[in-house]
Amino acid sequence: MLRDVEPGAPLDTDIAIETPEHIVFRHRVAGPARRLLAYLLDLAICYGALVAVALVVMAIAFGASARGATEAVGGAGIGLLLVLAFAIQWVYFAVLEAWRGTTPGKAALGLRVLTTTGRPIGFREAALRNVLRAADALPLAYTAGCLSIAGLASMVVTRHFQRLGDLAAATIVVMTSRARATAPFVLSPPALPQELALLSDDVRLDADERQAIELFLRRAGQLGPARSHELASMIAPVLGARFGVPSADPSRTLALIYDRAASAGRGDAPPSSRAPGAWI
Amino acid sequence: MDLAQPPTEAAFAGRRWADWERLDAIVGTVQKRGLRALGPADVAQFSPLYRDVCADLAHAQAVRYSAPLVDYLQGLAAEAHTLLYSGGTGRRGQASRPWARVALEAFPRAVRRHKVAMLIAFALFFVPFLGGLLGSMADPAFAVRIVPESQLRPLVDAYREGFDSQRGAGLDAAMAGFYVNNNVGIALRCFATGLAFGLGSAFYLVENGLATGAIMGYVAAHGAGGNILTFVVGHGSLELGAIGLAGGAGLQLGWSLVAPGDRTRVASLQACARSVVVVVFGASVMLFMAAAVEGFWSSSSVPAAVKRGVGLAMFAIVAAYIALGGRGSGDAETADGSEGPRWT
Repeated sequence: MLRDVEPGAPLDTDIAIETPEHIVFRHRVAGPARRLLAYLLDLAICYGALVAVALVVMAIAFGASARGATEAVGGAGIGLLLVLAFAIQWVYFAVLEAWRGTTPGKAALGLRVLTTTGRPIGFREAALRNVLRAADALPLAYTAGCLSIAGLASMVVTRHFQRLGDLAAATIVVMTSRARATAPFVLSPPALPQELALLSDDVRLDADERQAIELFLRRAGQLGPARSHELASMIAPVLGARFGVPSADPSRTLALIYDRAASAGRGDAPPSSRAPGAWI
Repeated sequence: MDLAQPPTEAAFAGRRWADWERLDAIVGTVQKRGLRALGPADVAQFSPLYRDVCADLAHAQAVRYSAPLVDYLQGLAAEAHTLLYSGGTGRRGQASRPWARVALEAFPRAVRRHKVAMLIAFALFFVPFLGGLLGSMADPAFAVRIVPESQLRPLVDAYREGFDSQRGAGLDAAMAGFYVNNNVGIALRCFATGLAFGLGSAFYLVENGLATGAIMGYVAAHGAGGNILTFVVGHGSLELGAIGLAGGAGLQLGWSLVAPGDRTRVASLQACARSVVVVVFGASVMLFMAAAVEGFWSSSSVPAAVKRGVGLAMFAIVAAYIALGGRGSGDAETADGSEGPRWT
């Protein structure tokens, strides 16, 4: 089930979906820019294919020796091209989304269409949301989505970036790029005995503090030393004062505090050394 | 005292890692090659592994392991959830119906379920059609105000010529392709723009009705009325019927926004869309059939009497199909969207 954001929760483009197992996980909803890029990519693929077919038809038609044959092949080829043009506009997206939940363009940008309950969409949803591209294209009814003013307005107004077709079919477009597991933060070099002696055993951080420090420590390697020092010295003195650690080197202080907090209360954490165990 | 002290992140991950990798591999296989690529052992393990990962995710969130681990488990659970709860069922989990039943029963039923909208759509098409027809027959200048003369002139010449000057099979195919692209496109657009409170559908219906009537009246006023009637009668039942049905579905869609009843407008729209989408499918199929008839039969040199006879028979068949299709065989099974808003 789709949950509404509680008042006071951070404004974000995530939606939370609760599974039948009562697990809540989040999908990141894709915004208009990324979706437009995916759409343009799909159009490029389609019209590229159309041009290729047109060239083949022309080659066959003009290669034919008899005049009648040229006319027959040319006529049939034009019919074929018109049917293909129709398929690009009305069939391509619906069939691919019903089949795989995504189109080549969407897949390239890591997008997937889901129902608002977090399930894969069926043929009915896929057909509806794509036929209604014509409504999203209003008031320019013949651009079929490239300049979809109504669709863009709808995406701006709705909470989950739904265009009109999404609203009617109860679908959302999410980003599927999945995080690969990374190793937990490892204090390096390992804590020295004199550093450990400075720090009390009972270091408690709340979730926000932990996350902020963790993000900083993971990024610290990519920051210049000066910037790293500047950022760390905003918060290290505060925490250092709370836990009684002198913050001579702010980055190191944060690392020590985080390391101990992360091991606190863990059953099998080594009792004295806070050097974390190897990640398998 | 803690009854159960949680393990460190590294210990937890080390213990559970093998299962995550296993589920990751299964998810990867399904995403690349489909559910059928899974062996019996994978199928048996998929669901328990997924539930275990759900439990791991809950645990990781509860004891606040680091963000990357939680993100990884969340992504894995989300992907597995998407695959586990797909499997050929619709959004509400009901099995999809076989195509034959959709064509023979669900489509005519859906049309009848929304018959008021459909009748209004046909009125919006045929009243301007008659107006255009009679107006142009009385005074050909009337048609010129609706359709440019440069388009009307060649039509008159073509219909005066009749059907004896056999055009080639190649041109037939080209025209059939044009009819698919143009007519089915118009019908789908006519449906979709109904989202604008029905106004788009109404516009397309009136515009197409008026233009069609004006063209036929203009051609008739120039002495080729018999020929154009012979041409149109073959595919008219399918083509004009389908445009009307698509427009009616669009009007219904718009009405669900105008008068949502006791639902929110979005909920009303979603229920209505589910209910009318089969009408749009059906209308599209009718238009594909019409394109084939129009391209290969209506323009052929078959005697006019035969064409008219077949055309009239087609009208009767289409009308009977819409009026009677799916009646009697368990009409109670209209649960599919029948709770949607109706015209009263």
